[in-house]
Amino acid sequence: MSTVHATVTVTAEILRYDPTSDAAPRYQTFEVKGPANMRVLDVIRSIYEGQAADLAYQFACRIGRCGTCAVRVNGTPVLACQEVCKPAMRIEPLSPFPVLRDLVIDRSEIDDRYAALELVPQRAVPHDGTPEPVDPKLALNICAYDSCLACMVCVSACPAVDERPFDGPAFMLKLRQMAIHPADQRNRLPQALKGGMLECFGCDLCTQLCPADLSPAQAIRDFRRDMIFGAPR
Amino acid sequence: MSQNPEIVLEQADVVIAGSGAAGMRAAIAAHDAGARVVVLAKGPARATHTRMSGGRYNAVSGLNPDDNTDAFFRDTLDSGAGINDHRLARILADEAMDRAYDLEAYGLTWDRKAAREFSLSMTGGGSFVRTIGSADEGIGITEVMIHQLHVRDIRIADFHMLVDTVCDDAGRVVGALVLDLSRGKWRMFSCGAVIIATGGTSQLYETSSGPTINTGDGIAIGLRAGAELVDIEFMQFIPISFVYPRSIRGYTLTEPAHYGMRHYDPTADAAHLLNNKGERFVLKHDPVRKEGSTRDVLARAIMLEILEGRGTPEGGVLMMPDERVFGSFLRERPIYVKRLLENYGEAQARLQAPIQVMPSALYTLGGVRIDPWCRSGVPGLFVGGEAAGGVHGANRLGGSSMPDIQVFGRRAGMAAAEHARDAGVQPGQGLGWAKARAAQLETPLGRDGLRPVEVKRQVQKLMWDHVGLVRCGDKLRSTLQAFSDIRRSVLPQLAVTGRSRVLNREWMEMIELENMLDIGESMASAALAREETRGAHYRTDFPAIDPAWCLNLVVGRRNGDLDVRKTPLMRFARDTAPAFAAE
Repeated sequence: MSTVHATVTVTAEILRYDPTSDAAPRYQTFEVKGPANMRVLDVIRSIYEGQAADLAYQFACRIGRCGTCAVRVNGTPVLACQEVCKPAMRIEPLSPFPVLRDLVIDRSEIDDRYAALELVPQRAVPHDGTPEPVDPKLALNICAYDSCLACMVCVSACPAVDERPFDGPAFMLKLRQMAIHPADQRNRLPQALKGGMLECFGCDLCTQLCPADLSPAQAIRDFRRDMIFGAPR
Repeated sequence: MSQNPEIVLEQADVVIAGSGAAGMRAAIAAHDAGARVVVLAKGPARATHTRMSGGRYNAVSGLNPDDNTDAFFRDTLDSGAGINDHRLARILADEAMDRAYDLEAYGLTWDRKAAREFSLSMTGGGSFVRTIGSADEGIGITEVMIHQLHVRDIRIADFHMLVDTVCDDAGRVVGALVLDLSRGKWRMFSCGAVIIATGGTSQLYETSSGPTINTGDGIAIGLRAGAELVDIEFMQFIPISFVYPRSIRGYTLTEPAHYGMRHYDPTADAAHLLNNKGERFVLKHDPVRKEGSTRDVLARAIMLEILEGRGTPEGGVLMMPDERVFGSFLRERPIYVKRLLENYGEAQARLQAPIQVMPSALYTLGGVRIDPWCRSGVPGLFVGGEAAGGVHGANRLGGSSMPDIQVFGRRAGMAAAEHARDAGVQPGQGLGWAKARAAQLETPLGRDGLRPVEVKRQVQKLMWDHVGLVRCGDKLRSTLQAFSDIRRSVLPQLAVTGRSRVLNREWMEMIELENMLDIGESMASAALAREETRGAHYRTDFPAIDPAWCLNLVVGRRNGDLDVRKTPLMRFARDTAPAFAAE
């Protein structure tokens, strides 16, 4: 409880850019005073409320669930609402996505990519309106994959996405969710391959940064194992 | 600014405002009934209240032989202090499980004890072990649904804020006026039906658990279009929320931590709540159910301790958790353990030390008055989910919002598709009105004046202090006066600082503020009219429940003024929904 009242002053350099009117992005520097454990989002909100009424930023839940506040802080993608502030921060929109303005990205292309993967169980027969037989442990594993926030922190961090034809960790994880779902009859491995699964370096950065504590890297390793040894079912 | 703002014309059969579960379920149903559907999201599609839910879902699964839909219906009425719309409560009890199977068909995997046996638990106010859930919570529910929209190729328009419905001279919906915040452009969708699925009003309060988008937009839009609101004086507060740090103050702390062994056993005690004198103050309010009481009783009991100076310095009370449930809590809800760890400390995360808790605005029990097919009084205007009123009455069972938004989302979608089929709306109908309204909302752009964010804070403080958990006639009257002053002298001075039309947050907040005032006035007016205490509505000047008030208050607008009137209950022991072609 004692840490509640400790105060800090942080310096935040925010990348400002309005594609409809600005020739190029520029950094604007702000100072914010607040509790030591304030989150990056608290800093951004305070800037909007007190210093830059025209700042464009995005958040909704403030608790790490909607996944829409992701930004880069000193080059590392994070959820602004979860990341504790640092004394000096450079805050930028999440790359490599198109910027609408300032810290807000256009997520429509991300959902186009999800849509192309058809992430619904492809059933041999329709659900019959009684509990579907699923092993309880497997159900929990599916739930874990289904807890992916689609925040794109992992895709932003992934060095393979940067250099190679790879959709990114989040998309592999969702394909894996389908692959282990007992109702899904579709072979998801070809989709993972087409999405660039083999381009993954195995660096595990996605796992380290995932705000939902998931491991997209493990999903990729599981697909690779299936590719060599065959899927268990 | 511009007297003749440019409006991009588009067409659809059904326009749905809101991308939470109610909106998405409506979209699926309307699409499957043959309608061309557009879903509008005020922010990114995933920024919704459903997403934040624990996802606990009341339904009669047949796995508890003692439970049945009549019992669920009765629990809903008991919790709602008897003033629920019985037809809607009946539908909720009858259809919840079918919609849970829909979610399973979409790919959700409910927690289970065995391959075909869901795990059941207790929930606030329920009398049977009934509630199902899944470890992916509201996130999982929204994820499986969004992919259902994708395979149907349903358009989800991010950053599209519904501003108002467009009606013809007969008062029938012919379109939706929408501000595309991402481009700063106006759009008018000509459509036969609009579904309001914009969620609740928790952002009207200083401390709330919901997402920042829940400013009551859809309910206000319904009211302005001529629909009536019902039970709008009832706002549900979750009793058990985080007290600090500031960024998450008000976020709910999940029921398993609070319920302890009662989570599994209805005869066990829930975690004890203590004031700063170490007293179990809940016993004064509910000696029978004690800390396992309904959310309204607990929230009020905690708030009174805080208001009367028996809270902690941070503004909460102490919850004594039950260490024995830590293992299952960690397994079922690891994210909450992490959250307790990060914000409170290890001993609290291990459920070994007292946890500070406070109430927080959670769920809008009232809303637009609907019939069993989610029709408002305005032809072509449908409402589902938290934006609608009547299902839960004066208080809601924990775990009943998730089935509500599925059951009534689907009904709204089906009925809207049916309505739109024969609506015969002409493209561009009502454009003149839409242009005038858009021009009016452009006036604060680029002028100097007051910032909306400051006024928003004033409204939130007034609502929290006087239209929240503890209410009295004098304060409600002074709050209404304050709202009227803000409307008269502050709104005309509002200004939008930023020059860019793209993602102009102040512009959005200005539009939200008008909605917040419309709804704040409705809530305070109805709260003032209801001279008794019932469910979530507590009047210090009328502290007892009064059988004469076993009725609903309906709020409407007559010639611009709010009109609050009493209506008899919709009481049917067993609902027979009106014959409807869609079924």
